This record gives sequence, structure tokens and C-alpha cells, in this order.
Amino acid sequence: MTMLAIWNIDWQTIADATALGGVYALMAVGIGLVFGVLRLVNFAYGQLVMAGAFSLALASQWGWPQWAGIGLCFAVVLALSMLMDRLVFRPLRGHSPAVMLVATFAVAFLLQSIALLWFGPLGKIATSLAYLNRPITISHVDIRKITIVAVVVAALCLVALALLLERTTVGLHMRASSMDFQTARMLGVRANRVIAMAVLVSGALAAVVAVMLTVQNPLVTPDFALRDTIIVLAGVVLGGMNRPIPATLGGFAIGFASGLLGGALPTNQSQYLPTFLFAAVILVLLVRPGGIFTRARLVERV
Amino acid sequence: MRRLTALQELAGPALLVIVTALLGTLVSISTQGYFTDTLVKVAMVVALYTFVGNSGVLSFGHISFVAVGAWTAGVLSVPSDVKPAIMPNLAHMLRDRTTGNLSSLALAALVGGICALVVALPLMRLSGLAAGIATFGVLEITHNLLRYEEKIGPGLNAFSSVPETTGLRQAAIGALVVVVVAFAYGRSRFGRLLRATREDPAAARAVGVSIYRQRLGAFALSGVLAGLAGGLYVHLLPVNTESVYLDLTFITLAMLVVGGATSLWGAVVGALAVSALDSYLAVAENGSSFFGAQIDLPAGTRVVIVGTLMAVVLILRPNGLTGGREFRVWRR
Amino acid sequence: MRSLVVEHLDVRYGGVHAVRDLSFEVGPGEIVGLIGANGAGKSSTLHAIMGVAPATGEVRLGGVSLRGRRPEDVARDGVALVPEGRRIFAELTVEENLRLGLAARRARGDVAAVLQSVYELFPIVEEFGRRQAGALSGGQQQQLAIARALVAEPDVLLLDEPSLGLAPTVVDIVFDALAAIRDRGLGVLLVEQRAQRTVAVSDRCHVLANGELRVTLGPENANDTETMVAAYFS
Ligand SMILES: Nc1ncnc2c1ncn2[C@@H]1O[C@H](COP(=O)(O)OP(=O)(O)OP(=O)(O)O)[C@@H](O)[C@H]1O
Ligand SMILES: [Mg+2]
Repeated sequence: MTMLAIWNIDWQTIADATALGGVYALMAVGIGLVFGVLRLVNFAYGQLVMAGAFSLALASQWGWPQWAGIGLCFAVVLALSMLMDRLVFRPLRGHSPAVMLVATFAVAFLLQSIALLWFGPLGKIATSLAYLNRPITISHVDIRKITIVAVVVAALCLVALALLLERTTVGLHMRASSMDFQTARMLGVRANRVIAMAVLVSGALAAVVAVMLTVQNPLVTPDFALRDTIIVLAGVVLGGMNRPIPATLGGFAIGFASGLLGGALPTNQSQYLPTFLFAAVILVLLVRPGGIFTRARLVERV
Repeated sequence: MRRLTALQELAGPALLVIVTALLGTLVSISTQGYFTDTLVKVAMVVALYTFVGNSGVLSFGHISFVAVGAWTAGVLSVPSDVKPAIMPNLAHMLRDRTTGNLSSLALAALVGGICALVVALPLMRLSGLAAGIATFGVLEITHNLLRYEEKIGPGLNAFSSVPETTGLRQAAIGALVVVVVAFAYGRSRFGRLLRATREDPAAARAVGVSIYRQRLGAFALSGVLAGLAGGLYVHLLPVNTESVYLDLTFITLAMLVVGGATSLWGAVVGALAVSALDSYLAVAENGSSFFGAQIDLPAGTRVVIVGTLMAVVLILRPNGLTGGREFRVWRR
Repeated sequence: MRSLVVEHLDVRYGGVHAVRDLSFEVGPGEIVGLIGANGAGKSSTLHAIMGVAPATGEVRLGGVSLRGRRPEDVARDGVALVPEGRRIFAELTVEENLRLGLAARRARGDVAAVLQSVYELFPIVEEFGRRQAGALSGGQQQQLAIARALVAEPDVLLLDEPSLGLAPTVVDIVFDALAAIRDRGLGVLLVEQRAQRTVAVSDRCHVLANGELRVTLGPENANDTETMVAAYFS
């Protein structure tokens, strides 16, 4: 095949793919955490990232200092996450998975069209962190700073999250709740607190993702992060939805693969990247419907 | 008596379609477009219902078959002399052929059905979340291929120069055909078996029903109907890849869910109710007066209101406006 | 320690009327038995007390109503449940399962002392602390489930068929533990299928059939097979 002959993978491509994998891994955990406690696939996760990105763009337009922009981004995303939990997730608890899926799909569209109404289709530009796009040279290889920052930040977030889940009481409660919520509650685990915690952590991760994605792609439009979310969702289902580690690995794998393919393929083939990616996802789902990174098969009602 | 009871389940949806079409003849030509569009949406939603409603499995992929139908009918209907201008890279065998309106619609249905069958053969083994994501994958792949594959269509461009044969009458007839087929399928042995698998998969399997086969059949049939709806759509307006992608998936799912996903009546009521609201808001966005009310809404308000409506209905009435029941004047 | 009072309890799942007008009381230092055939409404009664089954009627702990409370709040108020089928978190360690039980503890006091008193009852739980709970045998898991409920220091302990599927020697361990728990002053509500043994260990034992209380037996009836059979199938 000619495809193999024209692989041109350089270090920047590998580093970029790793960074994309890291960012997608964070999104995957964010989606997986909420799924764990609520059994709800949040289609609107990308719109949280979009809201964070618009906050950054507005802050840079108003000439706010960097830290204030990032602060605004976190505040907006966290507030929106909690609002979503209160207005949508909570009333939907106990409904069928299909209803919940369609409902978050509706919320996603709602938020996107609100952004369209507010900011218009052309979007805004977030420039304050653009300097991170400049390269630095490590042993004769040029790598953009953001690539390194993204990898480091993703790794730090994942370690912090692992510590939270493994070492703290609320983490233990979150893990137990995602295994058997009713029993956990009957043991005294406070449902609302665990859910709020999951929603908040997942929101904080969305804010981190918003910061990193706007550096790489400063033009913020209403469909910002929409495509990423669809790909990450596929990755999460691919990895195994209801456990944090498989979900994270799934997110990383699909991010790394799409980064690598996107960078290595010539344009006339890389435009078919979504086809390759989703064909691979469907193939894997057919072989392992419960995910590739899980041991037991997930038994699920239709 | 039993026949009659059954027939009212057809009469309700069919009458609604006819009344909508008749109402459409009473309004100005510019407003008529909304009625025509609504009827085509009815066809799409009923096609979606044929699979999703009867099987209880969510599909994000049905707009793929609408798109395939639109491409089929569109490519075959653009007059040969303008083809090179719109689709310079079209494959030879498509370049020289042009068909009439009806045969383009029939072929749209056929190709939609074949694509759905091919997709369903592997995919119907999945259920739940895996099925949801996989059907989403189908939508992504279709969109991606149609967008860049210029041998089979206009790629990034819109289908201009397709004869605009989908007026009020063709849309109404098309919607009626889809409704009747969906009704006949629902009443047939296959429809009842599939609904049994939806209500109690374990029991259905225990009495020897193959869930896979029943879903396969329904998916292929709904692909046929979706393809037909796509054909109607491309004869209505200049379709491009973006008009048969996420937005349309969202709005048709919204219609189905708002109406009540588990009944034909719900599908039709949902399509009409959401379309009516959507069209009214569209008119209002354009700032003209409609039924005496002078409103001026900023662009984009529609989706906000329709999205809110959908979320509210889902939360308050998860079975939709009709409660997911069929239309009945009287009950047995 | 407070007593648990159930008055005129009714549980309905749609058309199924699982518990009808049931009243009873569990005082401190008492074991109260609740026996009956499959589907008699025993688990439904416990679920109603915990606030996870649709119920009408009154449930009070020390005079304060528990009706309409969330399950986590009932647990925090001092009612601990050992659920049917044990419901151990198989992927967590034994120790983590035990720490989950602490979620319902109101007192801020000495955790180590509480754990110690539970380890005395069930040494196995201390011994296997670092193992995955799913790797324990059924009897060990049952002991863990009871231990997990006890670390919350409840006033009343509800047990749903703790002897189900256990070997006779393990059943002995469980029943001995119940007597010890009673002697610590807790109220125990014991749902069981082993009628004779339950009647023998209980201060009072209520027999349920079709959701209704049919008869109440005392320890003196333990060998009175005829009365029991009559009550079961009435
Ligand atoms: N969640 C539920 N939804 C509907 N019906 C239920 C539910 N839980 C229990 N039931 C019904 O209520 C009745 C009583 O059930 P329950 O579980 O209380 O019986 P039980 O006495 O605990 O039986 P067993 O000894 O088999 O555990 C049964 O007819 C059961 O089918
Ligand atoms: Mg029971």
C-alpha cells in the first residue's frame, strides 16, 4: 500500500499526538466520572469546554491578565456544570439510558445555539496564552511549548485524580457509588454530595481542557470541542465506560491515534480521518462491546 | 371490529398529514414552503420511528440514509448538461444518466435500504451505549465520505439545479406512503415480534425470537423509508452535506422524543408539533408578521427554544406528548 | 439506644401489594424475627424502613419519624442494613468495604476502638483486611457485611437472610454474633428463612404471609412445628 510508504512521522507529530491523547484522556475521565455515578453519558460535555473557551476569549478581549482569564474560565465552567446537574441530571435520575442520552444531546444543542446567539457563527479569538505555541529546542528537536505543557498538565491532573479516588473518603464513596449506588446510599454515603463532587471534578477537567485547546486553536466558535467530544465519547465507549482507568486509556488511545494519523497522512488521505477512526471504533465495538480495556464484559440492558 | 380498531391507528396519523397538506393550500406561496418542509420531516421521523420506536434501540445514524437517498436522487436528477459544472469529478457512469422524478425517488429508497442493510448486518449485534456510539460512527463516516468523495456527488457544494418537484402534493403523498408502510409493518408479525423484544428481551429470546433478525429487518426497512425521505428532501431544496448531518439528526430525534417514541401517532404528532413551533419561530426570526402577531426574534432563537422544549418534555413527560400510545377514538 | 417502631406499614409496587398494615417494634437489646415464605414481603419491609421502597404508614426511631427520608439519612440516623445477598463491593478491599460502613457514623469519636470491637466479633475481617472482598468465601463475605453495618454504631441492625447459602458452621458463627450484638444493647430485626432457629433466638418472631402479619411466636414455640407450618400457609 502506498499509505505506508508515505508515513512521515517526526518527533513533533509524536509529541502532538501524545498531547492530544492527554487532553482527550482528561475529557474521557470527565465523562466517565459522571457516567460512573449517574449512568448518564453527557453529550453536552464539549459545550462545557466551549463555554470555558469563550470565557478565555472574552477575558483576552477585555484585556484581563492571564490568571484572571483562567479563573473566569474555571468559574464559568464549574457554575455551568452545577447548573446542568441541578436542572437536567437531577430530574432525569432513574429515567431510561436512552431518554438521558437524548436529553443531554438536547442540552448540547441548546448550549451551542445559545453560544451562536450570543457570539455569532464567526466566534472570538483567545490570544492571551498564544505564546505557548512557540517552539523550544530539546536536543536538536523543535517542540512547541504547549505540547509539553499539555502532557505535563494531563499527567498531573490524572495523578491528582487517582489520589482523590484512592486515598480520600469522598473518593472511596465515589468509587463505591459507581459500583452499586443503592447499596452505597444505604450505608450512609450521601448521594447528592458524591454526585456534586463528580460533576465538579468533571467540570474542573473541562476547564483545564478548555485552556489547553484554546492555546492550540485560538479561534473559539460555537461548535468548539464538538468534534473532539464525539471522538472522545467513542474512545470512552471503546475503552470501557464504567471504570475510570479503561475510560482514560480509551480516551488517550483515540487521541493519540487521531493525532498520529492526522499528522502522518497526506491531506488527500487525512481528510478521511473520521472515516478511518470511526470504522476502527465500530470494528472494536463489534469485537468487544464492553470495551477493550476491561476484563469482564459489561452486561447491560438494552 | 378489530380491523376497525386497528384502522383508526392509521387513520389518526394519516388524517393529520392530509389536514396539514390541506392547510398548506390555504396560505401564501412563501408560507407554503414551511408546510412542505414539515411533511418531509414527518416522513423522516416516521422512518426513524420504524426502527427506534419498535426496537427501543437508539439510532443516531438514520440521517445517513436520508443523506444517501438525497445523494442518489440528486445525482440522478441534475440535468446532464449542467452536471459537469456542478459535479466536475463525477464518475462516468453517473455523468451521462438522468432519470425522472419518480424513478429517482424509487432509487433513493432502494439505495437507502441497501445501505441500511449493509450497516445493520454487523451493527445489529450491538445494543445500548455501544449501539448508540456505533450508529453515531455511521453518521460520521457517511458525512465524511459524501463531503470529500466527489465521484458520487457535489462534495462540499450544494445540490443546485435539481428539479424542485417536491411541492405540497408530492410531500404529502410521500409522507402518506411512509406512514402507511410504517403502519403495515407495525401491524405485521415482524413488527409485533420486534416490539416484544423491546418490552422483554429475555422472554422474547426464550420463545425463540431472534432479536438480531428482527432488528435487522426493521433497520433495513427504515433505511428504505429514510432514503425516500432524503429523495423528497433533495427535490425540495438544495441539500448539502451540512444540511443532512448533526442538526437534522438532532431535530428529528427531538421530534420523535417529544411526540412519544414508541408509537406511530407519537412520531407524527411530534414531527408536526415541533415543525409548527420551529416554522413559527423561523418566520418570527425573519421579523415578518404571522397570524397577526408581530414578533422580531434574533437569529438562533429557534434552536434555543426547541432545545429547551425538548429537554423540558423529556424531564416532565419522558414518554412524550402522546405518552407513546397509538391514536384511538375508542378502545376495545 | 433507641427503639424502632413500625406502624400500619403498607408497601405497593404498582399493582403488587407487598406489605399490608404491618406493625411491630424493636426495642434496645432485643432480637425480633421476621419470617415467611418467598415473596411474603420481608425484604420489602426492610426496604421501606430504609426509605428505598414506596411505602405509607409510620416508621419511627426513638419517637422521631423516618418517613420520607433518603436512605443515607436513615442510615445516618442509626439504622444499619445488612442487605439480602450481602452486597459486598467485590472490587474493593475488605478494609475499604469496612470504611464505607463508617459513612453512616454520627459520632466523631475513636474509629480505632469501633473497629477493634468489630474485629473481636469477626476476627476474619481483620485478618483479610487487604484482600479484595470479592475473593472472600460466601461466609466470610457475610461476616464482612455484618461488620460493615456495625462500624456505623447503629441503634438498630436490620439483617436480610444472613444465613442464606452458608455452611452450618458459618450459620453458627452468624447466630452467635447476633446474640453478642444484642447483648451490646442494639436492637436487631432479623429476616430469615430458617424458621426454627430464628424463633429460638428471637425475643419475638413475627410470621408474614402475603404481606400480612399472621402470628407472633415466642422462643417457647421453637419446637412447635405445627403452629409454624399453620402460620406459613394460612
Ligand atoms: N422493586 C419491586 N418492584 C415490583 N415488585 C416487587 C419489587 N420488590 C418486590 N416486589 C414484589 O413484592 C413482593 C414481596 O417481595 P419481597 O422481596 O419483599 O419478598 P421476601 O419476603 O423478601 O421474599 P424472599 O424470601 O424471596 O426474599 C413479591 O411479590 C415481589 O415480587
Ligand atoms: Mg427477600
